[in-house]
Amino acid sequence: MTAMKKIEENLRKEAKRLLEGGEVSVVLAYGRGYDENHPMPFAARTVEDVDSLVFNEYCTFNLARYLPKYPPKTKIAVAVKAADSRAVVQLIQEEKVRREDLVILGIPVTGMKDQKTGEVIDNKTTCNMANPVLYDILLGDEIHGFKGGSPYDVLAELEGMDHDARMAFWKKEFEKCIRCFACRKACPMCYCDPCFMDASRPRWADKSPTPDGHLMYHLTRFYHLAGRCIDCGECSRACPVDIPLYLFHKKLAKECEDMFQQAAGMKIEDKPAMVNYGNQDSDEMLK
Amino acid sequence: MDFEPKILGIACNWCTYTGADLAGTTRLKYPQNVRTVRVMCSSRINPSFIIRAFQLGADGVLVGGCHPGDCHYGTGNLYARRKLAVTKKILEFAGMEPKRFRVEWISASEGKKYAEVVEEFTNDVKALGPQTKFKIRKD
Repeated sequence: MTAMKKIEENLRKEAKRLLEGGEVSVVLAYGRGYDENHPMPFAARTVEDVDSLVFNEYCTFNLARYLPKYPPKTKIAVAVKAADSRAVVQLIQEEKVRREDLVILGIPVTGMKDQKTGEVIDNKTTCNMANPVLYDILLGDEIHGFKGGSPYDVLAELEGMDHDARMAFWKKEFEKCIRCFACRKACPMCYCDPCFMDASRPRWADKSPTPDGHLMYHLTRFYHLAGRCIDCGECSRACPVDIPLYLFHKKLAKECEDMFQQAAGMKIEDKPAMVNYGNQDSDEMLK
Repeated sequence: MDFEPKILGIACNWCTYTGADLAGTTRLKYPQNVRTVRVMCSSRINPSFIIRAFQLGADGVLVGGCHPGDCHYGTGNLYARRKLAVTKKILEFAGMEPKRFRVEWISASEGKKYAEVVEEFTNDVKALGPQTKFKIRKD
């Protein structure tokens, strides 16, 4: 707990400094929710707002989600955990935000907990990294020697199934979908305007939760995030009916890493995998 | 009655479609199960087309493009290769049999290869039987 308190203190201190000095016009971090265990994303715009900032193990939200929403050239400070920092890097790669507009407040942390279940999410629904890959100011001590297994361990069960069983699994999960688009809203990479689901010509899938549209919506969304998903797991945590979307995203992240030798959001210099091609690409990937 | 699969073929204008033409003009015999749609480049193919085809009752989807390096537009099929590779992984992980989706590079002079690929793919799909996993209309 002390590490979390220290991060909270540092967060307030840095936010105050940045806002007072006029370096940034907004600090994206976490604020109080209706109780301790339910903090919320919070945008501090004035020095008075800074006192409302909190940080505890339930602050799972990926704040990179809000970056593309701000007008270009807005100076923003954003608090990021490991996966969130990968989202920021990926957004910079995709030229949705500019590095020079950002002050990245890195939070090295492990043992974050799901607000709904209270479970630790390290390698279950998220990418199992402790330290942000990109930051200007680190709000806590860097974590060394953190090992929690591969983020892809959770896939073993599904990968072992045969095709029919897997289809049955996904059909059952997708049937729960009420098409609230919470997954889309929570995802830092879902910034398209309009989203293919909002387009009317062609209308790819029903916006209302008809069985016909389930596969089209989810599979296309998985495709759009292939090679870009940074495995923060926000989609599954946002889902009100608990569809394990992270499993599919993880699988595609794993395959893309294997095929393109590039993990999403690790280096600013990389080009996003799906708008690129490599000399090492071979027809093996189509087998 | 024998099961005759419905197969959607998506062929690139410059290579595979011309190759299919050549197969026809040289009077090669191949199964009639493939309904070919012509696109200007294999990278024109939106993966949603493929999902949509399966939803509307296609039993298989065959995509044809130029050989890598031979693309009319230089690099189109190199992007397409990555896109279609990911599409294949998605179909597979969602539970579709991987043999129902195939990507093949067929150049304009390879009429014979086109006929062979269509024959082989049709037999593969025939062996799998009707596709019901993605299908949404019961007609």
